Parts: sequence; structure tokens; C-alpha cells
Amino acid sequence: MKEAVLQLRNVTKTIGRRTIVSDLSFDIPAGEVFGFLGPNGAGKTTTIRMIVGLISMTKGEITVKGVSVRKQFEQAMTHIGAIVENPEMYKFLSGYQNLVHFARRHSGVTKQRIDEVVQLLGLQNRIHEKVKRYSLGMRQRLGVAQAILHKPSVLILDEPTNGLDPAGIRELRDYLRKLTQEEGIAVIVSSHLLSEMELMCDRVAIIQGGKLIDVRSLQEAKNSMQTKIVVESSDIESAHRLLSGAFNHQGVTLVGDRIEITADRSLIPDIARLLVKAGLDVYGIHATQQSLEDQFLEITGGEMVV
Amino acid sequence: MSSLGNLIRNENMKIYRRPRTWLMVGFLVLALGLMSGLMKWDESRSSGGDWKAGLTQQNAHYQQQMADNKDLDSDYKEYLTKEIKINEYYLANDMNPHALSLWDYVNSSAALVMLITILTVIVAADMIAAEFTWGTIKLLLVGPASRSKIMLSKYISTMTFALLLLLLSFALAFGAGAVLQGFDGLSLPHLNVGADGVVHESSMVVNSLQKYGYAVISLLMYVTLAFMISAAFRSSSMAIAFSLLFMLVGNTVTMLLSGYEWSKYLLFANIDLTQYLPGNSPLRPEMTLGFSITMLVAYYVVFQLIAWTLFTKRDVAA
Repeated sequence: MKEAVLQLRNVTKTIGRRTIVSDLSFDIPAGEVFGFLGPNGAGKTTTIRMIVGLISMTKGEITVKGVSVRKQFEQAMTHIGAIVENPEMYKFLSGYQNLVHFARRHSGVTKQRIDEVVQLLGLQNRIHEKVKRYSLGMRQRLGVAQAILHKPSVLILDEPTNGLDPAGIRELRDYLRKLTQEEGIAVIVSSHLLSEMELMCDRVAIIQGGKLIDVRSLQEAKNSMQTKIVVESSDIESAHRLLSGAFNHQGVTLVGDRIEITADRSLIPDIARLLVKAGLDVYGIHATQQSLEDQFLEITGGEMVV
Repeated sequence: MSSLGNLIRNENMKIYRRPRTWLMVGFLVLALGLMSGLMKWDESRSSGGDWKAGLTQQNAHYQQQMADNKDLDSDYKEYLTKEIKINEYYLANDMNPHALSLWDYVNSSAALVMLITILTVIVAADMIAAEFTWGTIKLLLVGPASRSKIMLSKYISTMTFALLLLLLSFALAFGAGAVLQGFDGLSLPHLNVGADGVVHESSMVVNSLQKYGYAVISLLMYVTLAFMISAAFRSSSMAIAFSLLFMLVGNTVTMLLSGYEWSKYLLFANIDLTQYLPGNSPLRPEMTLGFSITMLVAYYVVFQLIAWTLFTKRDVAA
């Protein structure tokens, strides 16, 4: 595991007697896209806002590249780029003036760097127009531009896909991939769109009621050999008998007019051969992956995300 | 880490790139033009007449007044004596005090500092609250600048805006005076009676700056109050409304309350220091210049502390 660029240690937030985030600890290494999942009100946004200092911590410590957000805020923030919810820009300024505004806060962001970022996000044609004339997608891109101007080590995106159309979401996703792979930036995303998170993230943390329930790697899940194999065949009864025998009656079930087998996906060719040799017509054999949504519902006990 | 200079440049950009700001400047220019025009028109209408006879008559009236009321308040008596001496000086040196000079334009423009105060209060009330209204506060705060630094940059930018308007007003009034009356009056002295009971000539510039100075003190207080309100309310329309309300109603309410002893501790009872100038009387007889200055300093510190606490300690959740 690579060195952690962001560390949370026992981070807790209480307001009055209500605990919003409780004892959260995890590490995020460089180059990883890390997702926050959880039902509404689980503490995702609160956690993200504690990382960027918008909300104070009651207890615990957050460090960015070893610098404490609480004790050395200014220094820690030089490593962070963030878009918190829909990036609201100064509408009476042009896109370029907005970028100049954010660039001035950092030392060492040159004019060339601003132009480079503008090119990178394909904003060059309309960068001198007032932001009030931008579409939501363009504002989102301007938001990303603002967040990466100073080449941060950690990029934080709170609900980045809110209000984006599918093309915009895809564009953002591809861009994030590029950033993590080429520049080794760690990205933290919170979203309630599970399918999006599945496509974007390397690992996800599942939060419920302010507590960390699980951190799991989506990459692992994809490579994991145990999958559900669904078989559709002409004589389903005899196919079931045949396969049950072959698998010693382990994990083979008849569901309606299909057979479901929990097994290694490398066994799919063997299953096909077996059925064909027995003279059964095969209409389809495919492996299904348990979706993040299934996993999520399983873990959070069916409490649905919006 | 952000340098304070760059943060101030950012705040300035946000003030001067807004069309509203230039509307305000235009408004001030218009008001100055109107004032100068009216003064000139009034002069041409009332010119003529024997000013020497007028002054002699006025002096006779003052003397009559002092002779008639033996129990006249000593301050007022002193004031009348001084006025008489100054009028005599005018007569002896053949100086017409009613002839307009360019300094009269500058002195009258000091009254427009009230307008500048209103304009700056609007800008100040918007300074923090607008960032919340626009939703830009999140991006503003998530950066390598502490909240105290951001607040300081905003306060400095607001005060710079006020300073610019003050300079503009002074310069424009001077210009209008020069155009309408010429530079003849440039070296005219300001007359006052010293402690030795003799009439002295002093510089008109200093006198004009003094007039501005008193107005600037109340500007400073009102703007700082508006800045605090801006940090407290997270909606700019609320912040502007409350700031202007305080400013416009505060004086009247304080007047109504002046019968109570505690009213002297109110901000509005102390904000106008011209009440201690000769010829004026303070809101309550026991008030002194030192008392008012102490109260103003105390209010200033409290406003800044509240604004700072509200801005730096509160969570940005919405």
C-alpha cells in the first residue's frame, strides 16, 4: 500500500447531544479514487466538510500529507483542491476572472498554468464570458479547473455529479481517472448515485449513522473469482440434476426456469461442455456480478439511498 | 499560503467588477453636481444687498440678546461674543463672509459624507453575507487562507472603498468650486477666536479636513456595525436592510430616549462628535468628549470581536 496522503483518526462531530460523525478513522493513499457511501444524513457531507475545515471537529485529527488540518490549516489547504456541492462561482465575473481569483490564493500559480488548465478542461472558447451565461456542465468544469489549479495532492468532490447530464458525468469520470493515473492525485468523492460510484471508485467507505461500517475495494470485488453463474437451458429439470451431481449438490439452485450456481467463473466452459455433451440445448450461460447497490443494501440493512 | 495582499486584490476585484459599485459612484457624482449647482444658483439669486449692513445688524442683534437675558448660559454667551468678534474682523478687513469661495463647496460636500456612509454600509453589509447568498463562501473558505485573514482582507477592501469615495468627493467639490468660483478664494483664511480672545486666521484646508474628519468617525462606526451584521446574517438583503435601518432610525430613537440617563451609553448618542464643538450642546449635559471617544472605542472593539467570532467560529453547513 502506498503512503497515505490523507489520514482521519477518530474524527468525531457532535452538535449538542447528537453525534453526527463518530470515531471515523481511515487512510487514503495517493492515486486512489475513494468513495463515500451512505444514506442521506449518514454524515458524508459533514465528514467531507471537516476535511476541508468548513465544519470544526469535536474530536480527532485529520492530516493531509502529514499536516494537521486543525493546527496548520493554511498549510494543509495548500494540498487540497475541492468542489463542495455545485461549484458556485462569482456570476458577475468571467470564467477567467474566477480562475484568477482562486489562483491568487496560492503562491506559484502562473498565467501559463491557468491557460493550461483551461485547455485541459476544454473551456478556452468561452473562458472570457461571464459565468452567469455558462451551462451547469460548464460551471462544473470551471469548478474542477479551480480545484486543480495549484496541483493539489488530494481532490475532494462533494456530490460532483449533482445536476449533470449523463455525458457530463462520463466526462467528469474520465477526467478523474486521468488525474489519478497521470498525476497521482488521491480523489475523494461522495455521492448518492451508487452506479456512478461503482464506475468511479477504487474503494468505498460505507457510512451509516455517522459510523464507518465497512471499507471495501471494488477492484477486488471485480477480480474475485466467486460469482453467480446463471444457466438457461431447454430441459431445465435434467440440466439441474446433471449440474447438481457435477457440483456435489453444492451451491446449485433452481430459480424459476433458470439455474443459479455460485462458483469460480473459470468453470463456465466446463459447465457448457457438460451440458452440450448431455445433449441439452443451452440458451445462455453468464456470470453476474453482485452490484454495489446489492452490497450496499446488504450492509446497511435495506435502508435505501435516495 | 495566501498573502494578505492577494486576498485584498480579490476582494477589490469583487467590489469593482460589479456594476452596482459604479452605479453608487455615479450617484455620488450626481449628488455633488447637484449640490454645487444649487449653491451657485442660490448665490446668483441672493447676491446683491449690503453685506456690511447685514453683519452690523447681526452683531446688534447678538448684543441685544446678551443684554436682554442676564441669565444666559455661559457657553452660549461665549459663543455669541466670539461670533461678534469674528464679524467685526470681517468688517474691519473688508472680507465678505457670504461670498462663495471654492472652500464653501468643499465644506458643504462634507455633508455628503452621510451619503458616502450609506453607500459604504451597503457594500460592507454585502461583504460577507453575499458570499453566503451566492454560495461562493465554501470555495472561498476552502483555501490556504485562514478565516481571520479573509475577514481582514474584506474589511480593508471595504474601508479602501470608503476612502476612495471620500477622496473623490473632496476632489470633485474642490474642482466644482474652482470651476464655479475660480481660485481666488484659495488663500482665504478660516477665522476663529482663540483662548486669548483675539481673532486668528487659520488654514481653510485644515478646517475642511476637520469637517470631513468628524463625519469619517461616524462612517467608521456605521460601516463596522454593518460589517458585523454582515457576518451575523447569512443573507445579504437582510444584512443591508438591518444596517440601513440601524443607521437611519438609531439617531431618532436615541433622541427620543435622551431623557433617560442610560441613553448616553448608546452608540448613537456618541457617534456625532460635533456635538462638542462650540455653539452645540451634547445630548446629555454630563457627557464629555473623552466619554464619547471611550464609548466609541469600546463599541468598535466589541463590533470587531463579535464579527470575528461569528465569522471564524461558526460551521458552514448549509
